[in-house]
Amino acid sequence: MRQPTAQWATGPAVPVVSVVVALAIGALFVLASGHDPISAYVDLFRGAFGSPYDITETLIQTIPLVLAGLAVAVAFRSGLFNIGAESQLLVGAVAAGAVGARFGSLPGPLLFPMVLLAGIGAGAVWGGIAGYLKAARGVNEVITTIMQNYIVVFVMHWLLQNGPMTAPNALGTPASAPIGDGAVLPVIIPNELVPLTRLHAGLFLAVAAVVVFWFLLWRTPLGYELRAVGLGARAAAQAGIDPRSRTVIAMAIAGGFAGLAGMIQVSGVFHRVFDGFSSGYGFDAIAVALLGKNSPIGIVLAALLFGGFARGGTIMQANAGVSSQLVSVIEATVLFVIAAELIVRLLAARRRGPKPLEAIA
Amino acid sequence: MKRVLALGLLAATIVAACGGGSSGTGGGSPAASAKAIKIGLVTDVGGLNDKSFNQAANTGRLNAEKDFSLQTSVIESKKQEDYVPNLTTFAQQNYDLVIAVGFLMQNAAWKVATQFPNVKFAIIDGAPANDKGDTANLPNVANLFFKEQEAGYLVGVIAATMAKNKVGKATHNTVCSMGGIPIPPVDRYIAGYQDAIKTISPTTTILNGYSNDFVDQQKGKEVGLNHISKNCDILFQVAGGSGLGYIAAAKEKGVYGIGVDVDQIDVAPGTVITSAIKRVDKAVYDTSKAVKDGSFKAGDNSFNATNDGIGYGKLDSVVPADAKAAADKALADIKSGAIKPKTDLTVK
Repeated sequence: MRQPTAQWATGPAVPVVSVVVALAIGALFVLASGHDPISAYVDLFRGAFGSPYDITETLIQTIPLVLAGLAVAVAFRSGLFNIGAESQLLVGAVAAGAVGARFGSLPGPLLFPMVLLAGIGAGAVWGGIAGYLKAARGVNEVITTIMQNYIVVFVMHWLLQNGPMTAPNALGTPASAPIGDGAVLPVIIPNELVPLTRLHAGLFLAVAAVVVFWFLLWRTPLGYELRAVGLGARAAAQAGIDPRSRTVIAMAIAGGFAGLAGMIQVSGVFHRVFDGFSSGYGFDAIAVALLGKNSPIGIVLAALLFGGFARGGTIMQANAGVSSQLVSVIEATVLFVIAAELIVRLLAARRRGPKPLEAIA
Repeated sequence: MKRVLALGLLAATIVAACGGGSSGTGGGSPAASAKAIKIGLVTDVGGLNDKSFNQAANTGRLNAEKDFSLQTSVIESKKQEDYVPNLTTFAQQNYDLVIAVGFLMQNAAWKVATQFPNVKFAIIDGAPANDKGDTANLPNVANLFFKEQEAGYLVGVIAATMAKNKVGKATHNTVCSMGGIPIPPVDRYIAGYQDAIKTISPTTTILNGYSNDFVDQQKGKEVGLNHISKNCDILFQVAGGSGLGYIAAAKEKGVYGIGVDVDQIDVAPGTVITSAIKRVDKAVYDTSKAVKDGSFKAGDNSFNATNDGIGYGKLDSVVPADAKAAADKALADIKSGAIKPKTDLTVK
């Protein structure tokens, strides 16, 4: 009962300290570039949360980070390091875009579930492949998921530049045909309330996914087994849980979350797939999961922070003249501090006994 | 207890962050009352230091800011999905002119410009395009186009003269070009280049290829090595970052290259003999000036030889005087209308 909150509570100090340290180091960079750090951070904050429009833009950035963060976290909880959230997201986007365009004339009640399932299903299969290779052949999932990223990027080049998905009139950029109206996630805030907002119903899907993540891991036998494998595969095996099958399942679930992120980007934001679609959410998601300590609330807060950075950095550059690259410096520093803490913990664990991240040999 | 403490710490941080933000909001923007003309530039994902397009546009912005005492800002786009919010950010703050760099922003500019009819927009290399991809002129958007074929023609004159007279390492009477993706602005450069070569040196063999990429240097290099193996000794790149690989192949094999968009003589000194230049900085500068003067013109704006919107770059010492003279003559003839470089490829 207490575990999710307990997990978060054992560690909020580290994430909070890492963010504070990162902001302080970032301030030094701002000073060095000849700007005022206070006004830069004020602009950063105002850009992210200063007006209703800014908040909706921050949320648009946050949604895929939450889902891809869940994809990394499910794997982490099961003792796996999923570097492939990016490619799982892209596969989901391509599948959703292909189905959404191919069957574009179908009515929404029929088309939307098809697109949703295509995105989640494609991501799950793609993630499951890495899980299978690990379970059946012992191939390290870090290697396979990294290689999967490349495969997807180049297959997308082919599909979109002069392959079967290329739209004849694609704005000069290689892109697919737009998805049907029935597959589009509607904007959820009326234009009179927040003019021009693009905030779409994918927000509800993201919230639902967080609840599913929590329920699955902490309220179902499968979730218990996944976490048991994650804490110690050999011990889990002794208790009658087959780590191999759980590895495949965990990676498939992870891929499903990331695939949903890709589907939401297609249905909610772009309404088509294009080359260079990625934007690195899958990689930021690793930071989000680490910062959020792989807990539901933690991931939401970390994604909100990173989403706010992405949106606020833009305004900071426009108003304070500080390069939005500063945001990348801050994000990287957050990771450094967290990684430092992880290293200390791993060293401590090594002295005590089995190493948690290599539990499945 | 520990948990309460930790949550308290978290809450304190959030409160502190919010407090900092809200006190800042009270400050307001100082420029709102000053009534200076405000110009915002939004780069594409290439970023400000791309040594090409975006950088040139930013140079134009800074020059205009200095010369016309404007208030200007720039936003670098990190991802394609940022185009719409970044353009919107400037429009919402009542900027007088919002400039979108690159044809990749055609659709984003259409979306934002239709929502803000009172804000002026300009698109470098593009026109507003609706969701279907159809371009249409809008009353508040200037489409800044370049006659790339004229710049291509000028460097083509230099290449043809050198190939014909077998200058330096150009001994095989064969010249080549490589585009990124066969889109109109790329093919216009190449069409002008080929037109000049056919006109000046009809016996010269012409080859053309595409890397199908604007970023990957390796792909450009492969095309370059292939062209060189077919006796090419002057290689003209029209492929952005991928084209740098094409130049790298020329450098590796000891033949000549020609740069594109900006002066790329420094990319590989001794290899790059000149560059076909499109003055993106001038387009930004002139459009900013037009907004200040009240002479802003929506719809197509052409930058060409006549208004110094295109040209050729610095020449390597290997380029003989007669080649330079021929290029300058061609430039004068293009200005006078005596030469109209082709816009369709001679050799695909």
